[in-house]
Amino acid sequence: MNNYLDLTITELHDLLLSEKITPKDLVDEAFERIEKSSLNAFITLDKEGAYRRCDELEKNKELMKESLLYGIPIAIKDNINTKGVRTTCASHMLENFVPVEDAFVMNKVNDAGMIMIGKANMDEFAMGSTSQTSYFGTPKNPWDLSRIAGGSSGGSASCVAGGLCPIALGSDTGGSIRQPSSYCGLVGMKPTYGRISRRGLIAFASSLDQIGSMTRNVYENALVLNALVGHDELDLTSSKHETEDFTRFIGKDIQGLKIAVPNYFMSDIVDAEIKEKVLETIELLKRNGATVDYIDIEHLEHAVTLYQIIAMGEASSNLARFDGIRFGYSCENPTSVDDLYSRSRAEGFGKEVKRRIMVGSYLLSGDYATEYYTKALQIRNHMKKSFDQAFQKYDLIIGPTTTTCAYPLGEGVDDPRKTFLDDVLVIPVNMAGLPGVNVPIGFNHTHMPIGLHIIGNRFEEAKMYQLASFIEKELQLDLKVKEGNHE
Amino acid sequence: MNNYQKTIGIEVHCELKTKTKMFSDTLNSYEGSENSHINTIDLAYPGTLPLINHGAVQLALKAALLFHCDINKTMSFDRKNYFYPDLPKGYQITQARTPIGINGYVMIEVQGEKKKVRIHDIHIEEDTAKSIHQVDKSYLDFNRSGVPLIEIVTEPDMHTEEEAMAYLHKLRELLVYADISDCKMEEGSMRCDVNVSVSMNEQLGVRTETKNIGSISSVGKAIKAEAKRQIEALENGEKIVEETRRFDEKDEKTILMRVKETGNDYRYFPEPNIPEFTLTEEEIEEVKQSIPKMPDALREEYHELNVNENNIKTLIAHRELCSFFEQVKEYDSVITSNLLTGDVLSYLNKNNLKIKDIKLTKEHMRDIVQKIHDQEISSKQVKKLLPILMEKGGQVAILMNELGMVQISDDHALQQLVDQVIADNPASVEDFKNGKDRAIKYLMGQIMKASRGQANPVSVNRLLLDTLNKGDLN
Repeated sequence: MNNYLDLTITELHDLLLSEKITPKDLVDEAFERIEKSSLNAFITLDKEGAYRRCDELEKNKELMKESLLYGIPIAIKDNINTKGVRTTCASHMLENFVPVEDAFVMNKVNDAGMIMIGKANMDEFAMGSTSQTSYFGTPKNPWDLSRIAGGSSGGSASCVAGGLCPIALGSDTGGSIRQPSSYCGLVGMKPTYGRISRRGLIAFASSLDQIGSMTRNVYENALVLNALVGHDELDLTSSKHETEDFTRFIGKDIQGLKIAVPNYFMSDIVDAEIKEKVLETIELLKRNGATVDYIDIEHLEHAVTLYQIIAMGEASSNLARFDGIRFGYSCENPTSVDDLYSRSRAEGFGKEVKRRIMVGSYLLSGDYATEYYTKALQIRNHMKKSFDQAFQKYDLIIGPTTTTCAYPLGEGVDDPRKTFLDDVLVIPVNMAGLPGVNVPIGFNHTHMPIGLHIIGNRFEEAKMYQLASFIEKELQLDLKVKEGNHE
Repeated sequence: MNNYQKTIGIEVHCELKTKTKMFSDTLNSYEGSENSHINTIDLAYPGTLPLINHGAVQLALKAALLFHCDINKTMSFDRKNYFYPDLPKGYQITQARTPIGINGYVMIEVQGEKKKVRIHDIHIEEDTAKSIHQVDKSYLDFNRSGVPLIEIVTEPDMHTEEEAMAYLHKLRELLVYADISDCKMEEGSMRCDVNVSVSMNEQLGVRTETKNIGSISSVGKAIKAEAKRQIEALENGEKIVEETRRFDEKDEKTILMRVKETGNDYRYFPEPNIPEFTLTEEEIEEVKQSIPKMPDALREEYHELNVNENNIKTLIAHRELCSFFEQVKEYDSVITSNLLTGDVLSYLNKNNLKIKDIKLTKEHMRDIVQKIHDQEISSKQVKKLLPILMEKGGQVAILMNELGMVQISDDHALQQLVDQVIADNPASVEDFKNGKDRAIKYLMGQIMKASRGQANPVSVNRLLLDTLNKGDLN
């Protein structure tokens, strides 16, 4: 085996340009690695499509010269529509659902010359923090196969960290890109809400959902963001912000950068080992000319509650379309329309999804709507304003991405409150529509990765990559999982 | 029984005349087979997102302006959640918080008395798919799914069937005139739900809602039947409960469909996929300018132009014909209104055509009026000419030539005809002398016949009377 997939994208690009390798070599290797792997990172592989793409790309040498991402295998979270390739949302409900249209991001992935090799495992309908709600089994953490990869984009994190492919797309409603990236030692960016079109992303909570990428390093993450952005006139929430080169500040020093740390992010809710690593990083930044202040952001402690109300309310409505009539699972021999509805949904959805639909429906009903939903929107707005105020004084906000490192499989399955609390530090970013990125800053005593969470003002992803790349360069962590660890 | 006062509020849904649907770009059309105007958005496929049809927003704005509403310039949409097979998303996108128009009114007239019916709000929403039920199966046609609608909700300001019907006639007239909706109740592009309550005092009684009534006259019957039912129930000591009913046309009775659940069971919340947007002053002004003259103003104007009452009625009832009349009335409002409501309308009706489908132009009307004024064409000739113009077009003067429609106005030539006819009809001449006016008509007819319709009737009439009165016939 050549182990091409351990090389950086820049190195691979040089090999492709000098025609020492072809895209097919990379795809061959990806499928070889996937076959040997026990990560359960994929729900569906698309060998036929991937090799067809290889043939197309080999005829398109122009694109090879233009795009650094040409020929690079990519995994797509299984809640992103892929034309002709089943898109299950890790649910029995959509086990056989084959989209007739590609998501907007798939057009971008193809335009850049990337090759989709398969659909990554996840929590059912992205509802979970451990990927244990998947109908197709739980993806595992390549650093320790007895632990979770996180969620909901657990399969995406697992396959990139496990070296199965260099890039994966995920979606982030309340931390679902950043938390698994932290658990698996990856760079994972949730861009500004609206930065990447949501068309073709199967909705969980529409006002929070955002697609983003998970990669092995900062530069490659910025490259993928370059490829995915652009206004989509078919998504009314898609931003008209100018496209830009997100790599442009990478390598710059951080002299004079003004950084804030919310006190709540460094409170007792965070594991001591993680706090220590973050403090070390803060010292590193100070030594290099950045200022770091501790500040208060309002309502951070309510983030999980807000999330439960808003996300579940929206989810209960978004998932109403799965009625057994036009697509998806349909129960056998229904005796009436009501029977068709209730049995198709009872049999098609998993436990966590049903729980969230019920809670969400309850919270939106009658007087509860004013008591909970309207109130939650008000607090969300306050939180947003509090962030806005902070960004008037500071360039970036940082803190730990998670309160703990990846924990053993099986934990939290019966305790939904616990898994929500995993996301307490990442949810506020979705609430405020801000961009957030995870960058690895070290390991705990069991050698599980620890991540730093960098939050930027809206549309300031480039500045976040600047800081992330600086940390990456200074720390020089060995983030390659030992070979054979996951086989 | 007479002590009860009825109180009526009406909700009307109208389909907007747009090219495409409210939240997708598929055609808003019922032509073609079932499920031929659908896409993944209309079917609520996973991953699809709504778009906004700004044409529909403008039509709704036009309606809100027509109904004298305050405009919510900053608009957002909401989801109304419920399960039904004809509702593919499991929710309807509507405007609960920011209806495009609020606090409007419509003036109605019942038995010569004017009355204001207040409009609570006008909001934009989407239509559902159509369910077609058969004995053991139901089918869904999604062509209607997502068709733009406005819902117009009144305050409970009406107290008689007549007022309710007058309101609906007025509403339809306004919407049709402003080209906002077809308002065809029989085809479902206008649908009515009626809220009725009865009470013996100032306090309103418990209301029921009777849904989807098929015609305006049925609305009157439904209100009558429902009020009667409620009064009888109250008289029997029963209580009225909030419920949804339907009207049985055959038995002229309302029938219970379902009892309303208490409170808000639709789980309304803001539609996160459609960001709030704001109408500009220019846009509002532009829509204001696009509102044509409305029937009440037209009636008054036509009256002043000496158009007769019947013609006014006919013109107002046919919006497209009326807008053609607007273009030609300057030539001669009486002649053109007669021609349009007479020969032209009957031709259109006979051939099931619309004015835009035929070749008749403004210039044709101008030329015909000119020829009539100059006495160069007889009404009989106009009758013959119009169908040709409507079907094939062409130029009036050239066509008249081709058809040999030359009017003989030369007195010398006409005198010969007059003399001939008088000589041939001594009996009629005798009748004339005996004071029988009928004889004139007969003689005129004979002369016109002899001229093959080409004689100028005014000249003939003059010459005939002169000749008969000369008295030197014997």
